[in-house]
Formats: sequence, C-alpha cells, structure tokens
Amino acid sequence: MKKNKSVLLTTPYILWMVVFTLIPLGVVAYYAFTDSPTTGNFTFANLQELGNYLPVLWQSIWYSIVSAVICLLIGYPVAYYIAHRPPMVQKILYMLVMLPMCMSFLLRTLAWVGLLQDTGIINTRLGKLGIGPLPLIRNSGAVILGMVYNYLPYMILPLYAIIVKIDHRLIEAAEDLGCTPLQVFTKVILPFSVPGILSGITMVFVPAVSTFYISQKLGGTDTVLIGDVIERQFKQGNNPNLGAALSLVLMLLVFVCTGIMNRFGSDEEGGVVV
Amino acid sequence: MKKANRIITILIFIFLYIPMAVLVVASFNTGKDITQFEGFTLSRYAELFRDAQLLRLLGNSLLISVLASGISTVLGTLSAVGIYRLKPKMRRVVMSLTNIPMTNPDIVTGVSLSLLFVFIGGRLLGQKESLTFWTLLIAHVTFGLPYVILNVMPKLQQMNPALQDAALDLGCTPLQAFFKVTIHEIMPGMIAGAIMAFTMSLDDFVISYFVTGSDFMTLPVEIYSLTKKPIQPKIYAMFTLLFLLIFVLMVTMNVIQVRGEQQKHRRRAISDSKAVRIIKVAAAIAAAVAILVGMAFLILPSLQPKITLNVYNWGQYMARGEDGSTDIIAAFEEKYPHIKVNYTTYDSNEIMYSKLSGGGVAIDVVFPSDYMIARMIQENMLLELNFDNIPNYQYIDESFLDTAYDPENKYSVPYTWGTVGIIYNTKYVDEADVTGWELMWNEKYAGKILMFDNSRDAFGIAQFLLGEDINTTDKAVLDATAAKLKEQKPVLQQYVMDQIYSTMENEEAWIAAYYAGDCMTMMENNEDLAFYLPENQGFNMFIDAACIPTCCKEKEAAELFINFLCEPEISAANMDWVCYSTPISAAKEYLDEETVNDPVAYPSEEILKNGVSFAYLPEEISRYTESLFMQVRNS
Repeated sequence: MKKNKSVLLTTPYILWMVVFTLIPLGVVAYYAFTDSPTTGNFTFANLQELGNYLPVLWQSIWYSIVSAVICLLIGYPVAYYIAHRPPMVQKILYMLVMLPMCMSFLLRTLAWVGLLQDTGIINTRLGKLGIGPLPLIRNSGAVILGMVYNYLPYMILPLYAIIVKIDHRLIEAAEDLGCTPLQVFTKVILPFSVPGILSGITMVFVPAVSTFYISQKLGGTDTVLIGDVIERQFKQGNNPNLGAALSLVLMLLVFVCTGIMNRFGSDEEGGVVV
Repeated sequence: MKKANRIITILIFIFLYIPMAVLVVASFNTGKDITQFEGFTLSRYAELFRDAQLLRLLGNSLLISVLASGISTVLGTLSAVGIYRLKPKMRRVVMSLTNIPMTNPDIVTGVSLSLLFVFIGGRLLGQKESLTFWTLLIAHVTFGLPYVILNVMPKLQQMNPALQDAALDLGCTPLQAFFKVTIHEIMPGMIAGAIMAFTMSLDDFVISYFVTGSDFMTLPVEIYSLTKKPIQPKIYAMFTLLFLLIFVLMVTMNVIQVRGEQQKHRRRAISDSKAVRIIKVAAAIAAAVAILVGMAFLILPSLQPKITLNVYNWGQYMARGEDGSTDIIAAFEEKYPHIKVNYTTYDSNEIMYSKLSGGGVAIDVVFPSDYMIARMIQENMLLELNFDNIPNYQYIDESFLDTAYDPENKYSVPYTWGTVGIIYNTKYVDEADVTGWELMWNEKYAGKILMFDNSRDAFGIAQFLLGEDINTTDKAVLDATAAKLKEQKPVLQQYVMDQIYSTMENEEAWIAAYYAGDCMTMMENNEDLAFYLPENQGFNMFIDAACIPTCCKEKEAAELFINFLCEPEISAANMDWVCYSTPISAAKEYLDEETVNDPVAYPSEEILKNGVSFAYLPEEISRYTESLFMQVRNS
C-alpha cells in the first residue's frame, strides 16, 4: 500500500522529467541526424561537418579549464577565510558572495566592456598618465577574465560549504602530533576539501564551456567558442540541424567530464554531484 | 598565511563588486557614456518609470518566476517525498534523471526544449505559434524542479521517521501526518529550494532566449537585445533598483533565519513562536497575492477586446520617441485604440529569417530587404497584401514599384531605401587611404575596423572589391570571396550589427561599412565621423519593405499598420529620426531642407547609377553562402 502511493507521488515528476528532459534530447538527436527540418531525411552530413569545429571545441575546453583552475586558486583562500570567521561575519560574507549571482550577468559583463575597452574607464585613466591604451579587451585573456568573474561564486560557495564542516579537533590533533601549518593543510584540510573542489570545478566548467555572451562581448574575432557557434546556427545561420549536432557533442563532452569528476571523487568521499 | 588570505579576500570582493559599482554610478550619470561621468542626475530613474514596456517586461519576469518556483516547489516536494520512499535502486535511477538538467549546459537545455516545442506544436499539432507563455513556464519549471528536490531530500533524510509513525499511530491519516508533521520538518529545505528556483528563473537568460516566442518575453531576453544596441542609461537605473531590492531581500532572509535559530536555541519548542508564525502567515499571504496578481496579469489582457499586433523590425529603425522624436507606435495606438503593438527588433535579415523559418512564433509585420523578400516569396513565407486596406500605397514613388524582387507588387510596401558605404573617423583615418573598399582591409588600421555580421552584406563588399558580381551563383567565386573575407579577419576588431553605434561614436573603432541612414545617425552624434561611398567600385543599393509573413495572426491590423507608415506626414516624422531615405516623395515636404539635400541620404541620380541591388539567390546558393560565412566567422 505504502509503496504504491510513493510510486503514485513520483509519477507526475517522472513523467515531467521524461517528457521535458529526455524526449527533448531525443529530438536534438533527431535533428542532428537529419538534413533539414522540413524534409527530415536521414544524414551523416552534420556529423561530418563537426570536424570543422574541433578547433573551436578545443578552444572552449581550454578556456574553461583555465578559468576553473584560476577560480580554484583564488576562490580557495576566500572560502577558507570566510569559513574561519565568526558565524555572523560568515553569514554576511556568504551573502555578499551570493549577491552578484542574482544580478543580471549580461549587464555585469557589459560593465567589463566599459572598463576594459580601448576608450574605456581603465585605458582613459591610464592615458592621462601617459600610458598608451593597453590591449585589455577582445583577446583570450578578456574572455577568461569574464568567465572567472561570472563563475567565481560557483566555486567559492561549495568550497566554503565543505571547509566550514571540517572538524576543528582534527586540525588541533594534527598540530599536536607535530604537523607544520603546511602539513596540516596538505594532509588534513586539503583532502577533506576534495568534494568541494570537484563540485566547484564542475560548476565553473559547465557554464564556462557553453557560454556565448561572454565571448561575444569580451572576445575578438578569433575567440569564438562552441556556444557562439551553436547560438549562431540557430539564430542566424538557419541551420538548426548542425546546431543540434554541435549541442549533442557539447552535451556528451560535459557528461563525460562530470562523469570522470564523479568517479574521481567517489574514491574519496562517495561521489559529489553538482 | 591568515593575512594573505584576508588580502586575497578583500581583493576578490573588490573584483566582484567593481563592475556593479560601475553600473550603479552610470545610473546617476547625465552623460550616456559609461566611461565618462559628466554630472549627477536622477532623471534616468524618471525615464525608467515612464517606460511602460520595460516595466511590463519586469512584470513578466516576476510572473514567470513566481509561478515557476511555486509549481516547482509543490511538485518537487511531493516528488521528493515519493522518491524518499522508493527502493534504493529505483531512487538512484530517479535521482540521476534529476541530475540531467543540473549538469546539462543551459544552452543545450534551451535548444532541446525549443526544438521539442516547435516539433510538437508546429509539426505534430500544426500550430502557428508554438512558443508561448506556457512553454516558457514549462521550461522554467523544468530547470527549477531539481533545485527543490535536491534541497528537500536531505531534510527528509535528516527527519526522524519515528515522528511520522507516531502521528500515524495517533490516528492521523497519511495526508494529515504529512501536513502536521513532515511538512514542518522539511520546511527549511522547501523554502531554500523555492528561493533558488525563483532567483534562477528571474535571472535566466540562456534557456529563455531559446524558448521565447513572439508574444511573451522576459526582462533578461530583452536586456540581451538592448545590449546589442546603444544602451539606454535607464537600464542602469533598473539594475541599481534591482540590486537594492535583492540586497534588502537577502538581509531580511538572513535576519529571519538568525532570529529563528536563536529562538530554537532558547526554547527548543515544537510550536512556532508568535513572531515566526506571523512571518509564515505573512509569507503565505504574500505568495498568494503574488500568484493572484500574476493570474490577473494573465487573464485581464485576454478579457480586453484588444488585438495584439506583433511588429518585428530592424533595431533603431522606427522612431520610438527617443531624442524628442515622434513615437510612431504610440501615434498608431492612439489612432487605433483597439490595437496594441508588440514591438521587437532584429539585427539582420538572416536573424529575422532564422526566427521565422525556425517556427513557433507569430509575427504580423516584418521589414526584410529586397533579396530577402525575393527569397521569402520563393519559399512561400509571405502573404499577398490586400491593397484595399492600404490606400496610402498611392504615395509610393513609381521608381520603387515593379522591382526585381517583387515584380507584380503583391507582397511588399517599400519602407525605406539607401546605400551601403564606409563610415570612418577623420581624426584617425588619413584621407589619402579613403580610396575604396580596400580601406576595410588596410592593415594600418588593424584592430579598428568593423565588418558586417551578416553573410549577404559581407560577401557583397568583398565582391565589389574583387570586381565580381554580387549576385553570382558561381560557387568558385563564392569560395574566392570567402577567402578574401578570411584575409580580412586579422585586421578586424569585430563583426557587428547594431553594436556599431556605440563603438563608432565613442571612437573605439575608426572604420566600418554600414547603411547610410545609420551612418548619418552616428555622424550626428560624433562630428568627426564621415561617410564615403565607393562609387567607382560599386556599392549596394537596397530597399527595405514592409511585408506580412505567413505566420501572421492579425492580417487586417497589419495592413492598417503598414498603411499608417505610408502616410506622408508619419513617414517624414519617422525618417527624421531614422535618417534613412523615404520612398514617398510627398513626405519630403515635411522634412527639413537640409535632410532632403543631403547627398548621403539622397545621392544624385548619377551616383545612384553605380549602385547595385541584391537579387534573389537560389535556396542552395543562399545556404552555401551562409555556411561559408559561418566558416569565416568560426575559423
């Protein structure tokens, strides 16, 4: 009796998820293997064309990995610092990290354009000091900066959540047993933070690898990312079939990456999912 | 170590908040440019509150997020309870289903849902308009659900199962047990999940961008199209207000949470304290009111006998009351009070074409250019016009009739015409270099040149330079043109459409090819800009015309609108701001003499002889050009 009911409770949800997540992915696959939305003939042409976009795909992966690593390197000290404040201060700082995530990322990215462009805030100030306009925008550095800026909170928050739970007595014990602060960090704190690190990396990597707005605004003509290409196939190029094939590749890539992360993490801590 | 951490933390917070500070400061700036603070003003806020369109979109966004988070919370909580009771194996399967939308990139979710809706609505059910408010709501619920489940599940796992058994033993029905016991235990998870679903939905751009149709839009999607044009400072004012609102919300939430915890410590009472109970009741009332208001928003417009006319036009291509111009749409709505115009914009013919052929939208009036009109006629995408409803058609000059793209004058009413030339900044560009289209390839100005971000215009320019026919169907010529464009890529700053205004006006770029009318607008705002038409190499002459696509729902109203645009006085008032040339000679009487005699807007017959129009290209060649251009862009 009880079991029947619980199945009944989950049925609408399972139905919803099948209809609105699994079937749409099936439709994407259908588009990827057909030649045009009107005729719908089976073809491998879209997949063959994917070869042209491999460099773009590598570039996207490379930028996102770099951003994720930078986020980790600068996010860890911040998370660590916040986790070791008094509870009230922790709450305030936590809120301040979360706040930017709730504001329009389009406008915040646009503000960076105003800061970085040749006639922008930074370069005009530098110009007054006699320093010629620096190439701050429309290069890979600017795109990575945009990614780090937008997704840093996604790194700090899971790291904080893990670090704050580390039992302080363990650290004291390590210290009592003669560990140097560095050893305490590498032997106690770091191993315990692994789940946070993994989920942080995933949460930065996934949106970064698929972004198109950041590269459109902060990038130049040669910083095209896979997200740009997909967006353009649907919104301008009028080639939804190629767009679908590219989406499929992007999705597989992300699932493989998160799968590896989870496998990697499960040795330590039983697996973390975003 | 500690000190280093503190310094890094401070620096990171500065890093996170500087761009937002820039936006807040810009909202008080008298100047339009974000980089120069010219003086303090509050008028941006007044502008914001006068902008009914923006406020309506904000209302739309709130409505969608309230409804989506409400539905996700109810459905998600019930499912979480169900999933919690499933056998572990089954539970794992369901939870991995939950993880799909969480791990899938937003762009894939958006693409997949939009393809699904168009596929089911358009192909299977034969609906014209399959992307509506409801499909957008479904999309938002879909990505909100996992947040609720992932927040409620841990609370269920923490709950002592004996509590519920006790309730059942004491004679509660399972339903009563849920409402009297379980729900109190999982409430924090529900609230956290609801808040996450709400904020995710409110700020969602990527998924909505793909799933939005023509009739219902949210704020982030509109902001995206606004950031492509010269941005209006009232957007900064809105950002500032939203920032304040969210800040206050977060602080209140924290205070409530801290108070709640303190109370728990003090009393450890099962029953709620008075304060908490009041807050809960207030929250429930607020939620109910929000949902009712939302429903009212939805139902009220449908009760009014108003017709909604979806007009889809190029950006910056109709006077909307900016800079003291006549608001053409407002004037139309005043004259025909039973019609409400829903005005949206596109950057290029190709974007408009993709949107219409992608399906799922209902658009009543579009303004394609000549070659695109020919293509759309060929592909049965345009409706024949009923000229009985467009008496003002008589004002159109004869020279704009019987064109190659619409030889029988059945599908289109000319709106504007013009030329494509080069706009350059005389401060930086040596006049000696301004010799022809090769200026766009000049390495001397590398990084300061802007190129068209649409295949037809970009190919046209390269073909003029190569001395080829711009209407060629020879694939070898097209390949050579693409190679020429690839050669140009290293000297380009960016491929642009509407972003050109701000970039040229604030001198971020110095050289660009663009439509003469828009060039005149830019020249008005920056005196150092000049226009050059490469007469000897040839240039494109275009006509943009109003057409009614087959996905139209209100044909008669659309014809009324087109007729209104052809009134000489209205056309003049419109062109006065748009700066393009009018095909209605009678309108010139209302324009000031300076404009009518301007060689940029109305070049002499002799010069116009060298202009070439784009002609229809067969479907296969259009597709081929498009894919070549994509390769140039993406290489």
